[in-house]
Amino acid sequence: MTDTTRIRNFCIIAHIDHGKSTLADRLLELTHAVADRDMREQYLDKMDLERERGITIKAQAVRLSHDAGGIAYELNLIDTPGHVDFTYEVSRSLAACEGAVLLVDAAQGVEAQTLANYHLARDAGLVIVPALNKIDLPQADVEGTARDLAELVGCDPSEVLAVSGKTGEGVLELLETVIAKVPAPEGSTSDPLRALIFDSSFDTYRGVIAYVRVKDGVLRTRGRLHAMAASMDWEAEETGVFAPEATPIPELGPGEVGYLVTGLKDVHLVKVGDTITDQGRDRAHEPLPGYREPRPMVWSGLFPAEGGDYGALRDALDKLKLNDAALVFEPETSTALGFGFRCGFLGLLHMDIVKERLEREFGLELIATAPNVEFHVVRGDETLVVHNPSEMPHPGTYDRVEEPIVLATIITPSDYLGAVLELCQSRRGEMVDMKYLSTTRVEVHYLLPLAEIIFDFFDQLKSRTRGYASLDYEPWGYQGSALVRVDVLLHGEPVDAFSSVVHRDKAYPYGRSMVERLKELIPRQLFDVAIQASIGSRIVARETVKAKRKDVLAKCYGGDITRKRKLLEQQKKGKARMRRVGRVDVPQEAFIAALRVDQRTVERS
Amino acid sequence: MSAGIYVHVPFCLTRCGYCDFNAYAGLDHLRPRYVRALMEEASLAAPAWRDEEVVSVFLGGGTPTTLGTADLAGLLEHLRDRFHVAPDAEVTIEANPDTVDASKLEALLGAGFERLSMGAQSFDLAVLASLERVHGPDSVRRAMAAARRVGFANVSLDLIYGAQGETVASWERTLREAIALEPEHVSAYALTVEAATPLGRQVALGVRSAPDPDVQAQMFEVACVSLAEAGYRHYEVSNWARPGFECRHNLGYWERRPYLGLGAGAHSYRDDRRWWNVRPPEEYLRRVGSGASAVGGEERLEPADAHLEEILLRLRILEGIPSSWVEPRTVEPFIDGGLLRETDGALVPTERGMLLLNELVLALAG
Repeated sequence: MTDTTRIRNFCIIAHIDHGKSTLADRLLELTHAVADRDMREQYLDKMDLERERGITIKAQAVRLSHDAGGIAYELNLIDTPGHVDFTYEVSRSLAACEGAVLLVDAAQGVEAQTLANYHLARDAGLVIVPALNKIDLPQADVEGTARDLAELVGCDPSEVLAVSGKTGEGVLELLETVIAKVPAPEGSTSDPLRALIFDSSFDTYRGVIAYVRVKDGVLRTRGRLHAMAASMDWEAEETGVFAPEATPIPELGPGEVGYLVTGLKDVHLVKVGDTITDQGRDRAHEPLPGYREPRPMVWSGLFPAEGGDYGALRDALDKLKLNDAALVFEPETSTALGFGFRCGFLGLLHMDIVKERLEREFGLELIATAPNVEFHVVRGDETLVVHNPSEMPHPGTYDRVEEPIVLATIITPSDYLGAVLELCQSRRGEMVDMKYLSTTRVEVHYLLPLAEIIFDFFDQLKSRTRGYASLDYEPWGYQGSALVRVDVLLHGEPVDAFSSVVHRDKAYPYGRSMVERLKELIPRQLFDVAIQASIGSRIVARETVKAKRKDVLAKCYGGDITRKRKLLEQQKKGKARMRRVGRVDVPQEAFIAALRVDQRTVERS
Repeated sequence: MSAGIYVHVPFCLTRCGYCDFNAYAGLDHLRPRYVRALMEEASLAAPAWRDEEVVSVFLGGGTPTTLGTADLAGLLEHLRDRFHVAPDAEVTIEANPDTVDASKLEALLGAGFERLSMGAQSFDLAVLASLERVHGPDSVRRAMAAARRVGFANVSLDLIYGAQGETVASWERTLREAIALEPEHVSAYALTVEAATPLGRQVALGVRSAPDPDVQAQMFEVACVSLAEAGYRHYEVSNWARPGFECRHNLGYWERRPYLGLGAGAHSYRDDRRWWNVRPPEEYLRRVGSGASAVGGEERLEPADAHLEEILLRLRILEGIPSSWVEPRTVEPFIDGGLLRETDGALVPTERGMLLLNELVLALAG
């Protein structure tokens, strides 16, 4: 157990590509955490390699040792997810630290995600150590970026450290500044145990691994523990630290950061943000603050392209859920797409990751319905929570509909400010404030409906600012909106998978664009197929796919019947892959293309 | 049982951009060896076909008339020697109007080729150019006149519709011109873009447009009307004939009677087995020359394959399929929709149904 005065817990807040991993490599070298011959680039990122028996999950917190002024310090570098989908997870990681290095690429400047995470860190009471990275780059603007950063955190530009993760310049100074400025953790060994779970993962051999920060008391191997929010008892099968390899140690004292092997098989029992205490008389009575249940923000129906894969999809989702506590799903039956699941995600990135893993790791071919947010339909005192547009009641049967609103932070070069404001206005945005970070960079805050953000907003933002703007957002609340459900009908039959809830002003253009899109995607049939968009019983758009007139092989030449038969068999296979909606055959591809949201999700980090 | 013999001649003066048949320009030097190989292959195959009566012989290609008259006559004589060719067998030779003149036609008729199938394709210069055909409309008229003069009483004209640049009006003119020549038989094929042809590549690259299926459907309907008015009976999707002049050889394919294919890439069928020779002429010559089998592949028809084929082929000709083969509720929408009609316990496609035959076959084959 290390004396708290010699412990420093910190994280690095940085935008993707601003050099966090490279800086971490230098810190590992400087503190001799890894023998020179074992060192490789982006060491921490690449620790999630398959290994027998050992813990195979990426280190979320790594322990470094450093001597300063004759004192041996224990430094815990805690990793934080950088993405907006995971704001809650970020906040829990921050709660495990006393300080944060705010790292900014001297050539790129401050980005929206950095800013959002900086605000989270400041609100969590962390001491901020501002630092510029990549000062070795010829295009680095050390002076200007230092000024912006100093203004942001409210310090003198001379206090902003200048670092090159690449050359190692300034890294020692950074480490010593962390020791000098970041406060030692508080907490006493004599208090009842309270340890924060700031992350968790699932290991095939060891079960659920919890990443913990001890606040009070001592966490011991073989200790009998109680998780307060989950209201679960378990035993600490093993405690240890990442140094950077998983290293068992018998106990973790106040202020220390490490891992805990729970032996549990279900990651949902180990909740991020939960407080661990002892069982029995020594238990703490107050949990640590800040816990909340993960709450899905974005919903989508996932359906197997091959109807027979339903069971496989269910098994795959069950497996994914083992190490993804935020994933929720329930069975859904679509008249158009058959049996599948309505899944809730933290955000679009989370949705993408889950979909990608289902397809790549489980070999499933999926059709995903367009993502939607969670609507609240209010009727008198009742509130109906709607996750699926096809379940939205028709107008006239309720008092109002509320939709989730987010507070968006956008940072853009001032040249593109007009374009950004125009985009936000067109997405029903309401400006909160705007401030110049420097003469050339502006920070804008908008209240925006989440539904507008999940529909190609980020793509539009990037294309209107030539890729320079960055975006972050956090939930703000629910607000009443003039929302209506738009249905799409094929030959008079509504196709539930195509239903959508949109703002009244956008219902017509939305319906128009869907029927036009579908007109290109639905093959001609033996009869005219009407494609209609409707709001309630009112048709707002219509197109027709004319009946096909010719589908015949002209010639059976020289007795080569085999080829003709093979062509027909191909055609038959194509038909078998179609889904039948009423009398209309709709190819899989039409569903996929019509439901595709044309955007890559918000930046990954 | 009555059988047919197909002889493939893979030589052409030039290759047409749309054609994906097994045909080659510039291999003329192989001709003498090729004729010998055909005879050898025929001799080898003959014993196995001893019990079949050959009721049709068809020389196709390629352009069979690129071979000399003596070779062609010798070939037919060889077949008559080795097989039981019925005295009244239908013997057809395909001809390119540019490769025949009166004396050649006379010699062919004399040798026993009594049915002439002429590749006219179109009477519109622009359409012929678009199809990369080297002949003009006049050479068709000339060849036709010569054929009549020397005594051909059974002539078929092949037409193609839907090439780039062809309008419904120009197609109607082509039909009128063809009818004016009073052939006994007319084949009219919708131009089909095959991927592995120069045309297919041009369409894929967007240099040329693919035929518009709606326009081709309209052209088909125009053909049905014009040819019916002129007294031709529509007896197969793409074939019309004066009564009694239906092509017996092609009917053999559609009625699933046995046939033997000789030559490079030729297909054969008997007893639910289909097999085909290697396609490249050099490879074919090498195989036959060394006494090896020219067969390049075969398939045995499983019952499901045979069923699909039978429905496909019976629906192509007006014979249709017995009503009892298909559940009434499967058939009803097609009858109501005007694609099928029921006559004498048989389901027969209407002209609209012929245009959508693939859909019909797939629905009725289950």
